[in-house]
Amino acid sequence: MIDQRIYEMFCEIGRDLYEGNMISSHGGNLSVRLGDRVVIKRRGAQLGRLKPHDLIETRLDKNDSGVALASTELLVHRTVYLNTPALAICHCHPRTAIAFSLSRDELVPIDNEASYLLKKVPVVTEEFASGTPQMAHKVAEALKNYKIIMLRGHGSFATGQTLDEAFHWSSTLEESCQIELAVKQINEPFIEYRKMSESYNKF
Amino acid sequence: MAGWSEKILDIDLSKKTYKTYPLDMEMARLFIGGRGLGARLLWEMVGPEVDPLSPENVLIFTNGPLTGTGYQTSNRFSVSTKSPLTGTVLDANSGGFWGMQFKKAGYDVMIVRGKAERPVWIEIKNDEITFHDASELWGMRVFAVTQKLGQNNNKRNVLCIGPAGENLSRIASIMNDRERALARGGPGAVMGSKNLKAIVVEGKERPAINDPERFKFLLYETRKLLAASPLTSQALPEFGTVVLMNIMNNIGALATRNHQQTQFEGAEAISGEELTEKYLVKNASCWACPIGCTRISKTEKVEGEGPEFESTWAFGAQCGIDDLPAIIEANTLCNDLGLDTISAGSTIACAMELSEKGYMDSDLRFGRADQLAPTIEAMAYRKDVGADLADGSLRLATKYGHTELSMSAKGMEMPAYDPRGMQGQGLLYATSNRGGCHMRGNMVGPEVLGLPKMIDRFQVQGKSSFVILHQNVSAAIDSLVVCKFTNMGVSDEYFARVLSSVTGIQYDTGELTRVGERVWNLERMYNLREGFTRKDDTLPPRLLNDAPTDGPSKGWVVQLEPMLKEYYRGRGWDENGVPKPKKLADLGLAGL
Amino acid sequence: MPFVKLYANLRKLAGTKEVPITEATIGAVLNELVKRNPPLEDVILENGRLRPHIVVTLNGHNVIDFNMQVSEQDVIAIFPPIAGG
Repeated sequence: MIDQRIYEMFCEIGRDLYEGNMISSHGGNLSVRLGDRVVIKRRGAQLGRLKPHDLIETRLDKNDSGVALASTELLVHRTVYLNTPALAICHCHPRTAIAFSLSRDELVPIDNEASYLLKKVPVVTEEFASGTPQMAHKVAEALKNYKIIMLRGHGSFATGQTLDEAFHWSSTLEESCQIELAVKQINEPFIEYRKMSESYNKF
Repeated sequence: MAGWSEKILDIDLSKKTYKTYPLDMEMARLFIGGRGLGARLLWEMVGPEVDPLSPENVLIFTNGPLTGTGYQTSNRFSVSTKSPLTGTVLDANSGGFWGMQFKKAGYDVMIVRGKAERPVWIEIKNDEITFHDASELWGMRVFAVTQKLGQNNNKRNVLCIGPAGENLSRIASIMNDRERALARGGPGAVMGSKNLKAIVVEGKERPAINDPERFKFLLYETRKLLAASPLTSQALPEFGTVVLMNIMNNIGALATRNHQQTQFEGAEAISGEELTEKYLVKNASCWACPIGCTRISKTEKVEGEGPEFESTWAFGAQCGIDDLPAIIEANTLCNDLGLDTISAGSTIACAMELSEKGYMDSDLRFGRADQLAPTIEAMAYRKDVGADLADGSLRLATKYGHTELSMSAKGMEMPAYDPRGMQGQGLLYATSNRGGCHMRGNMVGPEVLGLPKMIDRFQVQGKSSFVILHQNVSAAIDSLVVCKFTNMGVSDEYFARVLSSVTGIQYDTGELTRVGERVWNLERMYNLREGFTRKDDTLPPRLLNDAPTDGPSKGWVVQLEPMLKEYYRGRGWDENGVPKPKKLADLGLAGL
Repeated sequence: MPFVKLYANLRKLAGTKEVPITEATIGAVLNELVKRNPPLEDVILENGRLRPHIVVTLNGHNVIDFNMQVSEQDVIAIFPPIAGG
């Protein structure tokens, strides 16, 4: 039995993701860790319109839910929980961030809020960017030292103590990338306003 | 290696000799310093056969690689020992200046063994270690001793015990820099049992830093973040920790009158707002700290550091007292006598309830502010009713046939947060390795303040994950050693990076948390070796069975069983709370 | 009449500890509060939502839903970002 409050949190963040254009209708995923168990969205469900039966609870080290889950992503979530202190994971498809991930190995924000909160967002790359142990391992490794990372061309993975914390990083990243896109369109010389910003990419 | 001094000072009080030898750097890599290193060394040195007040117990004072580097709040240090109050592994943590000076003296660790034949004090000036006769100092109070031994700002720093430690009160503290405290679990009694009155340090060295450029950058970013966070730049400097009084009362999680209620009608009168308005002289800070949460308070009778939230609560709500000057004076008195304020206040409250119910013959009563000072004095000297109270509430309540009235876990008095209003805190108290303590994973952040985000304080499912995370992170921070308040403006990512930049060893955030997990599991193994079992992971019956009858926490008791089950599984322990071999192996503890 | 209790530095900003306010919902109460005490607005609200780490309780229970109903006996408490140990 999944606690009502946990379900409500999934619904709220799921809806925020969809309405914030951070996912497509059926894309992305959210999960939380409860001790040695995980609650995650099932395959085929829409994060923006979750129903109670859309959330599955399973053991951390193997699927004992009796339901065929979106196994492509369960592996990643599980690997992250086993290798990092994360208690919640938000995986979404922030469009502008994805666009930048196609030409950069790391995203280093230039706006105030994201350079404050994130400093640097590494981009990891994997040929089959879905559901292989290699990809899961790469994502988990990167999340050991950063609270949000990009998987090139695919989307972001963010961790936190709660879903809204993980969502916070995701939303901040996308906002930051949209600002940078606008800067490119404005195309005027950048006036650096932050001291020691040359060190951000070494964070 | 940078950061660490790589040196241990090992003092034998029985023989009045000392030696120095290198710190095992592989051990240091795994346990870092502070609490972690202290626990690891204690594991080897003090087994179940050792009585905490015997010469075979040791005091292990530890720094960390960050201590003395100048990183924000890099002043803290630790003492590890077997607790005379609980019998568990103990570490106590303090701020001020002494830890920084001890690092400047060139050591990571100081082990104090044996027992001096007659009272001594030790002076450390880098390589010069001198034993001095302390017969004239024995009996003196903390403030006088601190002054007499030449306490001087950030140049010469004094650590000592007061009469309470000398009289082996099991809730005696070790004090440093006059009013900072290694408070909980009775380390002062261990020091007193060794006839050691004080340790004075002066040092000249500075720790080396492996990557000064990166360190400088992180220092700057931390300064920015602490200045930008309203918690560390406004709330703590302006109101101090006592600012929590009103919010804990408002939500019905402020233990009152020995945990008989969860709200105190006098909370406003003993709040941070009241303190700031009427009794605050100014704020102050420890070495290298920009936050400045220390209070300097003044009443007609005293002026001194504090009081903190917990101390104010212990003599305030817990005793049913709303007289803030009397509480301030009680706090100062405890500092001068060398007594832990939380245990002292809660033990007095226990005695108040025992007496009101006629189980104990004394005139102690809730609300009697005038009884605080004389009772505290009596406790430090084991005089009259103080003789019953000097060893904490559990021994007191047991003596009078009502063990259940001691509001303690594993024998250590619980602090202010009533867990019937905060489920996660209940699990924390029950599982904390040193006993009923909030500083080993304080859930006030997520459950009350919304730090980092608000979680439902009455929710039970999934709560253990938060407790485990906070316990691990706290253990890591206690091993660096920095102040947990830094964590309110700056995330753990920074600590891992600062540690890497100082030492040259690449720790990532995950690895740092793992150090915390390693320390936690080692402490657990220590307690299991001492004979603690699953049944000790519990709380007083009042918190498990007696729901508050009014207030926001009405109807709630701590749902310990389901949380504990989930907790053991989440920690990789079996259903008896014993770490499984796989977990120990994963953490590099297989050899234990 | 329901009233709003203010804590820590909010008291100095508003010049008072308590403000009686009769409105139907939490959101309306907060709007009325900042209308009467403009210095509070920037501290409590950001674009019509609660600023991070502002804690609002209704009879001791945490509130985030601005549509929550307020009744006669209710006490609303507002805490700015605070911390302790």
